[in-house]
Amino acid sequence: MLRADERSTTEWLQHLSALPGTPGHERAAAREVEKAFSLYADRVERDRVGNVRAWIDGVGAPPRPRALLAAHMDRIGFLVKAVEPGGYLRLTELGGFDPRTLLGKEVVIHSKPPIAAVFGTRPPHLQKPGESERVLPVEELYLDSGRPEREVRRKVPVGTPVTLRQPPVSLLGGRIAAPAMDDRAGLVVLLRTLETLRQNRPAWDVIAVATVEEEFAAVCLGAKTATESLDPQLGIAIDVSHGDMPGAREGETVPLGGGPSLCVGGNIHPKVVEGLRSSARALGMTVQIEGCPMGSSTDAMDIQIAREGVPTAVIGIPCRYMHTGIETVEPRDVDHCAHLLAHYLGALPEEWRATEVLK
Amino acid sequence: MSRDAGPPFEERFLETFSNAVGVSGGEETVRAAVVEAIQDHVDSLEVDAMGSLVARIAATGRRRGPHVMLCAHMDEVGVMVTGIESDGRLRFRKVGGIDSRILVGQVFRIGKNGLRGVAGTLPPHLISRADRDKVAAIEDLYLDIGAKSREEAQGRVAVGDYATFDTTYERWGDTRKGKAFDDRAGCAVLASVVLRRPPVPVTAVWSVQEEVGLRGAAGAARRVAPDLAVVLEGTASGEAPGLAPEESAPLMGAGPALTVQDRSLMADARLVDLIERTARRRKIPTQWKRPGVGGTDAGRIALSGAGVPAAVISVPCRYIHAPAAYLDIRDARRTVALVWHLLHSLTKEWP
Repeated sequence: MLRADERSTTEWLQHLSALPGTPGHERAAAREVEKAFSLYADRVERDRVGNVRAWIDGVGAPPRPRALLAAHMDRIGFLVKAVEPGGYLRLTELGGFDPRTLLGKEVVIHSKPPIAAVFGTRPPHLQKPGESERVLPVEELYLDSGRPEREVRRKVPVGTPVTLRQPPVSLLGGRIAAPAMDDRAGLVVLLRTLETLRQNRPAWDVIAVATVEEEFAAVCLGAKTATESLDPQLGIAIDVSHGDMPGAREGETVPLGGGPSLCVGGNIHPKVVEGLRSSARALGMTVQIEGCPMGSSTDAMDIQIAREGVPTAVIGIPCRYMHTGIETVEPRDVDHCAHLLAHYLGALPEEWRATEVLK
Repeated sequence: MSRDAGPPFEERFLETFSNAVGVSGGEETVRAAVVEAIQDHVDSLEVDAMGSLVARIAATGRRRGPHVMLCAHMDEVGVMVTGIESDGRLRFRKVGGIDSRILVGQVFRIGKNGLRGVAGTLPPHLISRADRDKVAAIEDLYLDIGAKSREEAQGRVAVGDYATFDTTYERWGDTRKGKAFDDRAGCAVLASVVLRRPPVPVTAVWSVQEEVGLRGAAGAARRVAPDLAVVLEGTASGEAPGLAPEESAPLMGAGPALTVQDRSLMADARLVDLIERTARRRKIPTQWKRPGVGGTDAGRIALSGAGVPAAVISVPCRYIHAPAAYLDIRDARRTVALVWHLLHSLTKEWP
């Protein structure tokens, strides 16, 4: 059997993307993330909201500045809203699935023990004319576990989390499609970054945080509370970016295999992007710039406005078909994001601050 | 009444047949699996001009009776690759009746080697609000196999390759989950029945191309020229939340479904009556399929030659023509028993 620290990027993507973890139910995923982080970090701890934090001690003179890296551990899913006669289940969403992609899909209901089910479909033979022309919203979809109503009522209380049941699929060119690449691919970037930083220690302390509840509500609970308690001087979120797809308008996506994407806009501190770009130049790596006029919709939104304000950046992993069961990434992009991040952090001068004293 | 309980339903056949890929016109893999399952138990075995498998089994002893054709179709609905674009994505069209809404976001097994591909779509964030509520036209869908160019894709797939849902057979209590239960359920029932020598001469046909217009059964019926025919199906249950049982029949778990009439067939009334009486005698629960829905090979067979009295016995399945269908294993067992006892009834009560 392969030792965990010999896992390739592809194997880590397959392993971590298969873990459950709807917002608020990240504990099973957190256990595996702890194990993974422990392979490379100096210390690993779980905080009071459930974030997993991995520390790399810097080599600068204490007290050292701190860089916070965030990738979210939760994945989009559903909660059971009601059990109906016949044992059918109605759902409420956690994070926005594209409802056009759910009919006929298999899911895991995270009861004890977990059970599988499918989104029911009406066979064409029984449909009324025009029925197949209408997109069904999540409220009209239902799950069928194929089990008797009594058993369903006993095993599946209202509020039970539900995730898509789709094992990772290997495509040509090493690409992988799976339901939770958003943002398990970001966790693999953190892991690979820790691996490098332990060998080439930066001046700063680096805390990689696997955050909870990014996909739920307006505030990213995990990122906000981690920033409040860790008091970082720099925060970088690693999340997926819309990868190029047929039909997308130019400028709205970044090519898979094209390397890390860097957000620019109000949510991003220009000095951090500048530093990341110069690291990319030093590495001979291409990066792609993504304009985010209304913010990045990542953990960086809440890192930036925590405490007295924190300079932030977002490194994006190009990902096709976001918020479906087939989120597709290229492992090479994941590696490049980690190289870029490790290089940038390694090159950060001890005295670097985004704040300026003008007089 | 004989004490014989009849042959058991061989679940291993259902599992193998369900997992095998055989979209209409490309049934070879399923046919090979059926041959493997039954070849040692039949007296002759042929593949006809269209690809249907025809197996003859003489009756036991000196008992006489009508020559019975039992038929189940091997093909399943799926898609066919119809083009390869310069950027490496594959265009495809449906084979058989599929609701387009279940295609998007699905994983497919493509071609003989089962290359994986995904049916991609733009995320809601990147399409206009008006288009989010529209069902994508089949012409706009594509399969993404990860190839970046036509050249890269051409080494792995070809126009004309079939693709099917990437679903694996599973056992959940009495429920079985898998793809293509329409009609691998019928295929498995039929293969289970012919493992035992019947009381009347039987020709078993595993037909091709049912899903594209009941095409394979026509030639097979002509070749077999039976006295009567019984088609074995996995048929659509209409069960869904909020529907009364009478609106959703046939129900999974309530026994084999019998057809009076569908869009292809007026079932032979004498034969249906005999099936029903046999079931009652044997205490096998049955239910009526709602008339006017669907069509099966029986419609073709009934028109063959000078005409063939035909009926349909079905295992009720939820979610047919979708990636993952359900059936109740007890219904499959009861269907085998009913067919077996029907063959016995035919020795005395036909015509």
